[in-house]
Amino acid sequence: MKTWFSILFVLVCAGKILAADVTADFTSANKLYGEGKFADAAAAYENILKTGVESPSLLFNAGNAEFKAGHLGRAIAVYHRAEQLAPRDAELRANLAFVRNQVQGATLHESRWQNWVSSLTLNEVTLLTTVLFWALFGLLAARQIRPALAPKLRGATQLAVVLLVCSGTVLTLQAANHFSSSIAVVTGEEATARSGPFDEAQATFTAHDGAELRVLGRHDDWVQAVNGGGKIGWLSLKQVEVLPGA
Amino acid sequence: MRFIPKIWYALVAVALLHGAALAASFTASLDRDSITTGESATLSLTFEGGTPRTVPTPGVSGLQINQVGNSQSYSIINGAMSATVTVTFSVTAQRPGEYTIPALTADVGGQQLSTEPLKLTVGKIAAPSAEAVNSGNEVAFLKFSCPKQKMYAGESVVAHLDLYLRDEVQNFGNFAVTGASADGFSLGKCVELPNQRHRAQVGNRVYTIIPYAVPVTAVKTGSFALGPFTASVIIVLPNGWMGEQRQVTLATDSANVESLPLPEDKPAGFSGAIGNFTMTATAGPTTVTVGDPITVRVKISGRGSFDSLALPAQDAWQNFKSYPPTTKIETGDQFGLQGTKTFEQIISPLNTDVHELPPLNFAYFNPDDGHYHTLKSGAVTLTVQPAGSTPMPALAANKPPALENQSPQDILPIKENLGALTQAGPPLVSRPVFLAAQAVPVLAFFAAFVWRKRTDNLANNPRLRRQRAVALLIASGMTDLKKYASANKPDEFFATLFRLLQEQLGERLDCPASAITENVLDGQAMLRAAPPAVRDGLHELFQLCNQARYAPVRGSSELNSVATQFEKVVNRLRELKS
Repeated sequence: MKTWFSILFVLVCAGKILAADVTADFTSANKLYGEGKFADAAAAYENILKTGVESPSLLFNAGNAEFKAGHLGRAIAVYHRAEQLAPRDAELRANLAFVRNQVQGATLHESRWQNWVSSLTLNEVTLLTTVLFWALFGLLAARQIRPALAPKLRGATQLAVVLLVCSGTVLTLQAANHFSSSIAVVTGEEATARSGPFDEAQATFTAHDGAELRVLGRHDDWVQAVNGGGKIGWLSLKQVEVLPGA
Repeated sequence: MRFIPKIWYALVAVALLHGAALAASFTASLDRDSITTGESATLSLTFEGGTPRTVPTPGVSGLQINQVGNSQSYSIINGAMSATVTVTFSVTAQRPGEYTIPALTADVGGQQLSTEPLKLTVGKIAAPSAEAVNSGNEVAFLKFSCPKQKMYAGESVVAHLDLYLRDEVQNFGNFAVTGASADGFSLGKCVELPNQRHRAQVGNRVYTIIPYAVPVTAVKTGSFALGPFTASVIIVLPNGWMGEQRQVTLATDSANVESLPLPEDKPAGFSGAIGNFTMTATAGPTTVTVGDPITVRVKISGRGSFDSLALPAQDAWQNFKSYPPTTKIETGDQFGLQGTKTFEQIISPLNTDVHELPPLNFAYFNPDDGHYHTLKSGAVTLTVQPAGSTPMPALAANKPPALENQSPQDILPIKENLGALTQAGPPLVSRPVFLAAQAVPVLAFFAAFVWRKRTDNLANNPRLRRQRAVALLIASGMTDLKKYASANKPDEFFATLFRLLQEQLGERLDCPASAITENVLDGQAMLRAAPPAVRDGLHELFQLCNQARYAPVRGSSELNSVATQFEKVVNRLRELKS
């Protein structure tokens, strides 16, 4: 028992030390931002993210710094990551919309159902579905153990079934969107899409910094993507950052 | 049938040979041999009996010759097929004179062929005299008028071309300006002024006047003749019920226009704007952080050349980073000389010492009064804070959802609090441990389900229930037997043994335990069919119980052996099918 307490104590202390370090780095990055050193601030936020921790505020500030440093595509990519942690953050959505408005040329637009589905994070929907799943089977088990309670639990069981079906549908859509529908964001000033996955292929369209493209496939260091205007082409991974579906 | 293709091959071969045998030719022709300045003639180069390797392009000093099209045709005459290629050029002369289009040489079907030289006479077209106009002899004529005899270089005016058609002209069409002498000027597109046709009497005839306008911009300084303009129009004159169509070539007089240089006293910030303008300027947002963009909107309205209108560099904005402005022109007339040009420029303060956006200056030259003017906007007070320290706007803090419905000027500021940190990783739904945990409620449910089924099964089967109850009773009874044996209590031992025998046999025979005596061993079919060892064992146990009533004294070891014997018999008894 003492061993378990010791391990728990060490873990808690390590967590607090890590958080203290990150907070100090975060404050330093904020200071750089305040001094107008946006590129340095963006690098500082990026260094924190490289440690493997993330938070909506950290990603939000990183996106701001990237935007101020003139990197529209990287700002959108970071905002996307933040959106997956805090999809209902109004400030985040406002900044993402603002940066998207600065992007030139055709870009991808999320459909209404995607907007609706992505108002919850994948983990939130997963937990909600899990709670409903456990509750439903708990009710079913209770009805087996205490058959006399079955009439009283019928309404609750039916409600749990309906909610579980709805939640499961949203989870399925979210998961499908997350795992099978990637987005590529152009992170260079200009990216040339080509008809094949090689440098000598004919150019099909040009996407500007920050343009979001739906990824159709991959081949080595190339991604096949379609832009908001419906044009399809191959882009080098050096020109884009590929994100899970938004 | 096999000979039919051969016949076709032979016919084609004959036709080709015949065609090849025809002499190729190359001719040049003009649709007319005299034109006036500004008018166009059509030069046709015709290649018959072959295709030219290259089409020669005639070049004559003083003539402008441009290819306008080509055509190809095939014909079979008396079995001879010939191909004809025709290339057409438009020929225009700006000056009157006699021109000769020289002989042209081309390689046609391997033959070097040449054309005959062509002569083209270009006459000077002149505007009809005042006497001719007033006499009413001119069925159509054109008048040119420039609103100004003195212009400044860069100034734009709208000149007028009035087409006069005598009252007998039933209709007209295809009016086109075919030429204009406008050295020192830049001409815009000639358009008819809408809803301004009218009639007027000239001499003793009534004419319909169709007003056209052409924007004119002086591009060089000096004295220049603007015009004459030449034009052509197709008119319809009364002749039978269909009328008679006639193409009429028209010319105007020229106007002497002096193009003046701009005065030397150019004000600072003058970028070549000529006209008469007003300016409004706005800037926002006014509360920003260092590096945040401020949008400056400048609207310049009035009359002048808007295409060349540019926002001058503002020297007073050295504390701002400026980005190239975007422009939008809203013209108020069809010539683009009146309207509003809106500049939208993004600037961002470089430091917190900036407290205002200095006044914006715009200088222009007004040709109407011949002076330069400078328009000045008011200074805009700014609040510039260090980046990162801007407090959350009240709107953002109180009504976050409304943010997306606004048209923001910049991104919202960074957040000061780090918030809850999480370890970056794959989503829960893809973690095996999480997925495995979801089996727990399912297994719990199935466990409850199985338990329920067994419970219900027991409840609905009294024999099974009794069987289990007796098994429990025997198990506890065995403990008691061993306890009594150890304590050497034969009375309690045999009383318990007898009761256990009754219970076990009663359960096996499905009858009340109290009804069990030694007699049932021979009375029940099941026991009669039981193995002799079981029957003998049961008999012996019953007899021991009976003997104990008369000779109760026994030792512990004997009682233990009886208990063991009872256990064996009970176990074998349970194996019997009831």
